[in-house]
Amino acid sequence: MPRKRTLLFFAVIISAFVLMSYQSKKGRQASGTALAGPLNASHSAARSVSDFLLRPFRMMAARDEENRRLRKQVEALSIEKERTQEALIENRRLKELLKFRDTQPSAVANARVIARGLDNWAHTVLIDKGSRDGVAREMAAVTPKGLAGKVVSVSDGYATLLLLSDINFAAAVRLQGTRKEGVLAGTGSGKCVLKYMPYEEEVKPGDIVITSGLDSLFPQGIPAGYVSKVDSGGKGGNFQYVEVIPFQDDTRMEEVLIVK
Amino acid sequence: MKYLQWAAAAFLVFFLQGRISVLGITPDLTALVAFCAGIRQGETRGLFTGMVIGGLQDGMSLSIIGPNLLGKGLVGYFSSSFLSGGMLRWTPVLGIVAVSLLTLLDNTTVFFARSLFDRPPAALSTAVFVSVMQAILNAPAGLCIRPPHAD
Repeated sequence: MPRKRTLLFFAVIISAFVLMSYQSKKGRQASGTALAGPLNASHSAARSVSDFLLRPFRMMAARDEENRRLRKQVEALSIEKERTQEALIENRRLKELLKFRDTQPSAVANARVIARGLDNWAHTVLIDKGSRDGVAREMAAVTPKGLAGKVVSVSDGYATLLLLSDINFAAAVRLQGTRKEGVLAGTGSGKCVLKYMPYEEEVKPGDIVITSGLDSLFPQGIPAGYVSKVDSGGKGGNFQYVEVIPFQDDTRMEEVLIVK
Repeated sequence: MKYLQWAAAAFLVFFLQGRISVLGITPDLTALVAFCAGIRQGETRGLFTGMVIGGLQDGMSLSIIGPNLLGKGLVGYFSSSFLSGGMLRWTPVLGIVAVSLLTLLDNTTVFFARSLFDRPPAALSTAVFVSVMQAILNAPAGLCIRPPHAD
């Protein structure tokens, strides 16, 4: 029996070789592609079934993808909107400054605040205009809101401003209503004090303080701030203690106009 | 009924072979049918089942008839001699090794037969890669396909 099997085995091998040799010389004689018909049909059916079953999941995936894409788009548009908004605000600010410049005959240059002063104690800022642009020491810096400070040092392309709130700042001012003169001095905080206001002088919170021009440093009539607190109880010694809040907030200053 | 079952199994493996793909390589499921036939029904039936299924595969391919017929026939024949208890006793590891080796044998036979009598079906390096991958993919089936009186 095993011998018979071995013979069968070799017979199969020899037959296969003969068959293949014959086909290699004469070409393939019979085509069995028709056999693949039912198989192909079943593949097609399986494809249809799998498509039918997977369609909802594919649609979910497609929606998910679209959702992700739209979210990205919304984010990009939000950023774009923020930028546009920023440009609009800047545009408005610069227009105001230009208009303001037209009202100032002694304007020297428009400058952009580019940095805060390096000294933590001093209230100073760096601007992008210097002696090349006509900026010189002791010139005043103003904004459409009011007095901002004065130039304390200048280089070719840059200058440093001493701000109103610095303790070393002082300007000759007067109360807009009563025309009473005084000296506005910084305190090192966000507020200033109006010095040398006698007790008999009536000062009320809300009074406007403007530059008097008597110090030959700041042009006359520039709004500096408003009175926020008055203490007539002796805190100021021989004079009233008058606290003034500057119109121009140091922390929100982006452009200034340098005037002489 | 038994022939119907074998026909259904053959149809199923042809169907699955067209649908399953791992790293672009389809497992050689027809070799598994030949292996199964050999291990369960002996050398002669294994040989004939392998020849029939291989012949069908050749028929449905665009190449000459013979390479798969011979390859699957050899798988059916040798699977029986490996594992029916004549030479070696079946164990799961031996099953895995046998399936892998016989898949390699099938692929080698088909590759060389086509190269000799028709055109080489692939570059040698590709053929080696495909054969090894198919042997690896088929290997786990060696655990499940066992002789009738294995335990």
